[in-house]
Amino acid sequence: MTVKTSTVQLRRSEPRSGLGGLILGAIAALLILLWVGSNGYKQTLVMSAVTYALIALGMYVPYLMAGSLSMAYSAYAGIGGYAVGLISTKTGLPMVVAWIIGPIVAAVLAVVLGLVTSRLSGFFLAAVTLLFGMAFTAFLIDAESITGGSGGLGNLRPLNLLGWTPTPYQMMVISVIIVCLTAFLLDRMRLSPWGVIVRTMRDAPRAVEAAGVRVPVLNLVALAIGAAIAAVGGALFTYTAGSITPETFTLNVVFLAIFMPLIGGSGTPWGAVAGAVIAVELTLNFPALETSGTLLLALGVLIILLVAPHGVIGYADKLRTRLWASLRKEPHGG
Amino acid sequence: MAEQEILLVGRGLTKRYGGVTALSNVDFELRAGEVLGLVGPNGAGKTTLVDLISGAQPATAGELMLRGTKLTGPASRRARAGLARTFQYPQLALELSVRDNLLLGRAARRHATPWQMVVRAFAGALRPHAPADDAAIQEIADELGITGLDRLAGDLTLGEQRLVEVGRALGQDPLVLLLDEPFAGSDARGVEGIAEVIRTVQRRGHGVILVDHNVDLVASLVDRIMLLDRGQVAFNGDPRECLASPEMQRVYFGSDIDDETGEGTGDAPQAEVQDVRS
Amino acid sequence: MTDLQLWLSAVEMGCFFGMLALAYHLIYVGAGFFNFAIGPYAMMGGLCTSWLVITYDLGVWTAATISVIVTLILAIVTELGVVRPVQKRSGSGELPALVAVAAVLFAIQQLAGYVFGYPTLPGQSLATFGPVTIGDVTIQPSSVLMIVIAVVTFVVTAFWIRFTRTGRLLRAVGDSNHAAALLGLPVNRIRLIAFLVAGFIAALAGILFAPKAGVHSLSGLAWSLSGFLAMVVGGTGSVWAPLLGGMLLGLVEVFLPYYFGGQAHVYGMLVIALIFFAFKPQGLFVRTVRA
Repeated sequence: MTVKTSTVQLRRSEPRSGLGGLILGAIAALLILLWVGSNGYKQTLVMSAVTYALIALGMYVPYLMAGSLSMAYSAYAGIGGYAVGLISTKTGLPMVVAWIIGPIVAAVLAVVLGLVTSRLSGFFLAAVTLLFGMAFTAFLIDAESITGGSGGLGNLRPLNLLGWTPTPYQMMVISVIIVCLTAFLLDRMRLSPWGVIVRTMRDAPRAVEAAGVRVPVLNLVALAIGAAIAAVGGALFTYTAGSITPETFTLNVVFLAIFMPLIGGSGTPWGAVAGAVIAVELTLNFPALETSGTLLLALGVLIILLVAPHGVIGYADKLRTRLWASLRKEPHGG
Repeated sequence: MAEQEILLVGRGLTKRYGGVTALSNVDFELRAGEVLGLVGPNGAGKTTLVDLISGAQPATAGELMLRGTKLTGPASRRARAGLARTFQYPQLALELSVRDNLLLGRAARRHATPWQMVVRAFAGALRPHAPADDAAIQEIADELGITGLDRLAGDLTLGEQRLVEVGRALGQDPLVLLLDEPFAGSDARGVEGIAEVIRTVQRRGHGVILVDHNVDLVASLVDRIMLLDRGQVAFNGDPRECLASPEMQRVYFGSDIDDETGEGTGDAPQAEVQDVRS
Repeated sequence: MTDLQLWLSAVEMGCFFGMLALAYHLIYVGAGFFNFAIGPYAMMGGLCTSWLVITYDLGVWTAATISVIVTLILAIVTELGVVRPVQKRSGSGELPALVAVAAVLFAIQQLAGYVFGYPTLPGQSLATFGPVTIGDVTIQPSSVLMIVIAVVTFVVTAFWIRFTRTGRLLRAVGDSNHAAALLGLPVNRIRLIAFLVAGFIAALAGILFAPKAGVHSLSGLAWSLSGFLAMVVGGTGSVWAPLLGGMLLGLVEVFLPYYFGGQAHVYGMLVIALIFFAFKPQGLFVRTVRA
């Protein structure tokens, strides 16, 4: 049996702990938190990055692992946000409940949408889920008595965790920790047998069925998990922003969420996080660029699509492997 | 020889689509510890029959029983009942490693119900790696002669990919193993690996259905052979008898006259079978 | 349902969606995928024209011509710079092409926003004459233009597809891309032509429709979805199918909010999408293969 060796692409399977990503991610997070200090504006930036990161991470499981692109994520984030708003203004329940109910409702909705669209894929699925996102916004505007209509909900109660209310800075730290934890756990999920089955489902669904796993059902589970994560992000953003309207999570958000793993790298969930940080930097924090930040982002995405399809992390990784190989002067095998 | 338990029974299996009858009234039986060979020219319906058994395609008519229970539903349900198969064109996750592709067969049974699917997602996040899985995969790899488990499946040769598919099917510990053209593209070592697997499955008291173009090879490995011709069973019985039979002549060469092959191993025509018919 | 003014509005929207759907149809037939950037092409046509007229005081026809040229350039860049390389690299996978087209859609919207600004600009009618009155129905000049030019576009396109060499080549490529390439047909050239014609039609549609409710940089997304839906509903069976699909959506767009209020047309589109995508993805006009 001949063993093919390609000189540069000596691709090895990765270690299964996910610790590498966590360490790098934690260091980056720490640096970001130090950079923010007590600056209110920077805190808003970080919260935006956190929200985008969680929405992108929510898309990670169904889209990057299972291979189906749903654009309904503005709705899921919106559900998380409105859960916070509704629980605050319409009930007397402790605020923390919003982070439980929001994700559950989002997951259920994702399953229903998944069932209805189960025979769709590619362009059709994207179009229907986009339309669903628009219909959801329309519903938020129409159902004024529940959702406050176009004015939305505001004046939120503060979080009360056993008598402790976190300050805005502490809330930001908690959010960053949640992002890191989610990325870490998703990374491990990806490497686990469950992740292997889901990723195989993307390219060889017949094999997964033939092995005994019902593909449509697994797909729904992936969708549900993704929606729940996005809802957590929406809830965090709404809480720190203090209000939510139907326009808070626009379809723009969905597009950006698709592009983030592209920029950062789709090989690992940390790519979505890296992409979110880069995206927020470009679109919100570059005074020299002002309104052209998003345009630069869009052009950047196109360039990456064509030149470095594995994103920044993928490219860096490729360079690293090449460097390593040339340093070790690997023999050409045969 | 004592009568072995009947594992898999097919009665009246028929498949029609768009005016074409791919299979017509096919009956077969597979006993425990038995290897059934399935041969026939291109378009005879061999893969269609495997698809009907495994559930990849629904049957137009007929029924299947696995150990006395009706075999119905989607492919995943039948797989959980005890079937495992390989495909004519290997269905592998090309971006994943050989190890991960083998893992699918072994881990699938733990992800059968929706509840399991949800729980396993979180369990995977907490504990992505089970040494028991590694050991089992290594054992399968050794049995088949697969090396370099960390290579990406997309980097393998076609023969190696087929071996991995067999390994994946083996990981399911199936009652019935369906092998669809596992030898195409394999070298001698690959063939021997698969032959060894077939013998092991037999010893465990399970069954194998083996489909391939290489009639000679199939005949040397199986207990019984079924010859398909345009969707119908032309011969069902002893391998050696089949090779020498007039049905064999007719199906592969289109005539009963000019019978060149003597009895015995049936040398001349078989090896070139692929070239003669379309 | 007897309010003729509403019917007129529906027909006008139907013509707009129909033209967008025709653009989709041509690219689908010629290049085998769904160019979600059609909406932004239309937006470019309308927004660029308005901006040039308002900012530089150009004549409408001059501005329109420039806008069409700009859109055609974008169409070429889409095909040559993005879609073709991505399709070549990822073969049969649908997802990379989808993501690439989404990136193009997004980029064009951002480009428009950066250059033309974000506020809604009023559309510019290509010709001004007094409103036409038939009975108790008043038809604005822009509506007349929209309907007339849409029908003319369909007639010309139908003629082009059936009677000219390039048109028939387009149909041949659409029937089987692989066979066409094997036969030595200039597949790449045909793809490009499909993109150019589609881009032209989309830009024209955007210019004609803009006077109805204005246009801004983000209009393209909703238009892309409507055009796609109209194309799918109509089907691929005939060049006129997109117009039929467009008309159906036009009815939904106008009459649902009339009877059910507010945002009903959005729900209507979603329901129609679900029904047609799941149950009748070939649409209403199915092309039968001549045996």
